[in-house]
Formats: sequence, C-alpha cells, structure tokens
Amino acid sequence: MRTAIDGKILATSFSFMLMLAFLVLNGMVNDWGRLTGGVTNLIDFFHQSLWPPDWSVLEPQVYPVCTARAPFEFTCSTAWIGVIETIKIAFVSTVFGMALSLPLSLSAARNLSPKWLSYSSRFILSAFRSLPSLIWAIFFVILIGLGPLSGTLAMTVYTVGYLGKLQYEAIEGLTKTPLEAADAMGLTKIETALNVVIPESANDLISHAIFMFEYNFRSGTIIGIVGAGGIGYYIDLYLRFLQYDKVVAYLLIIFMVVLIIDFFSIYARSFFNEEDDLRRPSWSEVFLGIVRSADATDDFSDGL
Amino acid sequence: MQSESGLNKPLLVLRDVSIGYDSSLSLVNIPNLEVFPGEIVVIAGPSGIGKSTLLRTIAGLVSPISGVLEVCGCILPESPPRGNLGYIPQKLGLVRHASVRHNVELGARAGVKSRKERQVRSKEAIEIMGLSEKSTEPIRRLSGGQQRRVATARTLAQRPKLILADEFLSELDEETLASVLDAVTNYVRESNAALIVVEHDISRAKMMADKLLVIDDGRVNPFIKGTKAMEVNV
Repeated sequence: MRTAIDGKILATSFSFMLMLAFLVLNGMVNDWGRLTGGVTNLIDFFHQSLWPPDWSVLEPQVYPVCTARAPFEFTCSTAWIGVIETIKIAFVSTVFGMALSLPLSLSAARNLSPKWLSYSSRFILSAFRSLPSLIWAIFFVILIGLGPLSGTLAMTVYTVGYLGKLQYEAIEGLTKTPLEAADAMGLTKIETALNVVIPESANDLISHAIFMFEYNFRSGTIIGIVGAGGIGYYIDLYLRFLQYDKVVAYLLIIFMVVLIIDFFSIYARSFFNEEDDLRRPSWSEVFLGIVRSADATDDFSDGL
Repeated sequence: MQSESGLNKPLLVLRDVSIGYDSSLSLVNIPNLEVFPGEIVVIAGPSGIGKSTLLRTIAGLVSPISGVLEVCGCILPESPPRGNLGYIPQKLGLVRHASVRHNVELGARAGVKSRKERQVRSKEAIEIMGLSEKSTEPIRRLSGGQQRRVATARTLAQRPKLILADEFLSELDEETLASVLDAVTNYVRESNAALIVVEHDISRAKMMADKLLVIDDGRVNPFIKGTKAMEVNV
C-alpha cells in the first residue's frame, strides 16, 4: 500500500544515509592526514604547472600550412580543429542516438507498452548503457580503426542507452489523462505516441537531448585518448609531455563551449515552458543569461 | 421517444454491472441501463460516489467487476468500440504544449484517416466552439473555460456515436455554457448520437437530461460501500 511521504521521515532517512556514507568512507580511508597534504600539493601544482594557461593552443599549427586570412588564423589551431571535430562527433552521435532511442524509450515506457515489450526494450537500453563511452570507443577502435568514426559510433551507442532511460522516465512521468483520452477515443498506440506523448513530453525530451549533446561533447574529450578523434587527442598528447598549462587552456575552451550549449538549451526549452510564454528571451539575452540568472537568484533571495 | 419505440439498437447496454477499482469493493451497481441514439443521460450524485469511475468504465479505461457492458455493439473490455466513443475527462486530457488545432485534430484522427477530412472537421469544430482566433495557441496559454471548449471541439471533430463527458460544463460562464450545450445537444440530435454527462449541478442536470441517473449512497449493506442507481425519466 502506498503511503504519503512525510517530511520528517524524509529528513530522518536522509540524515541516516548521510551518516552511513561517512561511515563507509571512513572504512575506506586509513589516513585522513593525506587529505591536508593533498591540498598543499594541489596548490603547488596549480601555481607551478597549471596557471596561467598557455593560449598558444589557439595559434595556427606549423604544419599543414594555414591558408586562413587574418583574423581567422585561429581556425588552423589544434584547439579549434579539436573542438570542431568534437562538436561534430557529439552532434552526429546525439542526433543518431536520439533517433534510435526514441522508439526504444516509447516501447520501454510502462504506461504505453505491454510488459513484455517494456522489459525487453529496457534490457536493450541497459545493455547499451552498462559500458561507458570510453570502453565503447576502445571496442570500435579495435573494430574499425582509429579516427572520429569510432568515436561517433561509440557515443551513438552510449547515447541510445543513456538518453533512452531519461526519455522513458520522462514519458512515464506524464499525467495519464491525455493518454486515457486518446485511448478512449480509439487512437492507435503509434498515433498516441506521435501526437500525444511526444508533444506533451517535448520539454523534457529537448532538455535531455541538449544535455546529451553537452555530455557527448565532454565525453569527446575523453575518447580522443584512445584514438577515437576529437580534442581529447591533443589533451592526451600534452598530458604525456607534461605541458599542463596547455591542457588547462583546452579545458577552459571546453568549459566555454559547455556554457554556450547551456544557453542554447535555455532558449530551446523556453518554447515549452509556461513561464517563458509571458516573455521569451531574445538571443542576445540568452548569451547574457548570466545577468538574468543573477536577477533570478536575487529575487529568490528576497523571497527568503 | 426512440428508446421506447424499440426500433433503434441501444448504443449503451449495462446489465448487472458492478464497477470499482477493487473487485472486493464495488462502488456502483447498475442492474439495467440502456441508452438509445438521440438520448442525453445525466449521471448525478454526491462527489466521490463513483460517477467518474462509471464513465471511465464505459470508456473502457476501467474493467467492470462483473456484469455485461456493451458500447456501440462492442462488448467491453474484450472489443473496444474504436473511434465510436468520444470522451471528455474531468481533467480534459489535452496536450498542453500542442496547439488548439492539434488537439482538435486528434479527435478527428480517431474518426477518419483522410488528412483533408480531418482538417475540415477540425476547422468546423473550432468555429462552432468560437476558438478560431486561438487555433494556433498552445493549450497552456488558454483559460480553464477555453480549454473545456477545446476538449468539446475535439469530441465534435471526432463525430462519435456515444459521447461521455465528465463535468464538461464547469468553469464556463452562462453565455458560453449555453452555446457549448447547444452545440453538443444539436450534434446529438442531428447525428442520432447519445450523450452521457456527469454533472454535479442537479438543476442543470434536470434541464438537459432525457434520463437522469442518480447515484446515491446505498444503505443495502452498511459494511460494504455499496451504491444503488435510480433511473428517473424527467
């Protein structure tokens, strides 16, 4: 029998879990003194090797000869080439991954499909998700060789598993009334999925797809290490040569791209948010989103 | 009256039907009910008694605990009457992020497969409900009353034989209520369809009903939350 969740029970349970986590951690750590030593090491490492970043990664490579005119020479730099390749891999794998995951997640949603179909679809999604994209990248590098194709396939497979789970959870969270109305009217399952479920969960689906694109972009920095293309190749290269200041420059560039993706996400989702119906942000406002967020935080603080 | 002539086949037949979510706890028991083409049946009674559950059972969303339930010639729950049943749930069941037109076309989609025919039906239903200016607006931007009109337009676009409507007139102002009720009753009379409405306002129920089905708390067995249905010809 379902019972309502009491706030007090929730707080007590969470406190218990927190204490349990500390106890488990304490069991794994034999010397807490190493933590203070670690912080000192990190500060030294930061000053000696990480900061300031070496922005020469934005300068054109010596070879091949750069044919771009000023001020676009940066397009011949390893940072630009790596970022663009990573974005391409992330974009293709997200689009293909979504195209494959959506039918699977519709089949996996228990409010749409019979049990046998739901569980078999979940099994497939779990299988794709059980290996991280790095392991899939190693698998595809062995299978088809080095290069961005291996990275794209690896991340497509992982996207299907990960995005599929997010999608079927979003679909299962839909209110049942539109589904019931469609069912009573006599719409087929496919008609219901296309005309009721997808539009109704559009906000979540878009949000998840953009999150997945961002995730794939960040993963693209890792899979390059095993030769599957992208900016990760250059990060791995400079890590091997202990040129950490260049690695930091790459990481900051990745951070900037992730921020841009986040702003894009805000704008895309505004079409499906009731709050944003009143006033949709312009593109310039989206890129100045930090200001809007700050305002929102102030409002929230005032409310407290 | 058509029902008494016996010339028309009933669109809804309930015989010894018990309904509820739990087989050991029957909410409503209906010994015998037939609804004929052109009839408007209103189900009234206090809240929480099982009126909406009865409607959901007729819609095929809840299986009856026992008895025979026949909708548009199809025995439920084995063979649902695909496309012949229009349903306006209490919470409307609209696709909130989609436009008015999209929602109304959903009803037409259940009725016909031709895209052109669907568009014609939807446009007509939207006009009848006075929503032409709002046809491209997403549902979430509409008021409660406008949303009820969209749900009604969706059903009119479907052109079903039997309409089930759960308190579809609430939240409407007097003028809009009259026009919505007129549109639906005209459709029922002209198309020889039938309408079953759950209505809590008893005076409004009496105004529109050919048959009034009052579900009241039964005292047959005080240990079971049973109910009995009275069929009253108005």
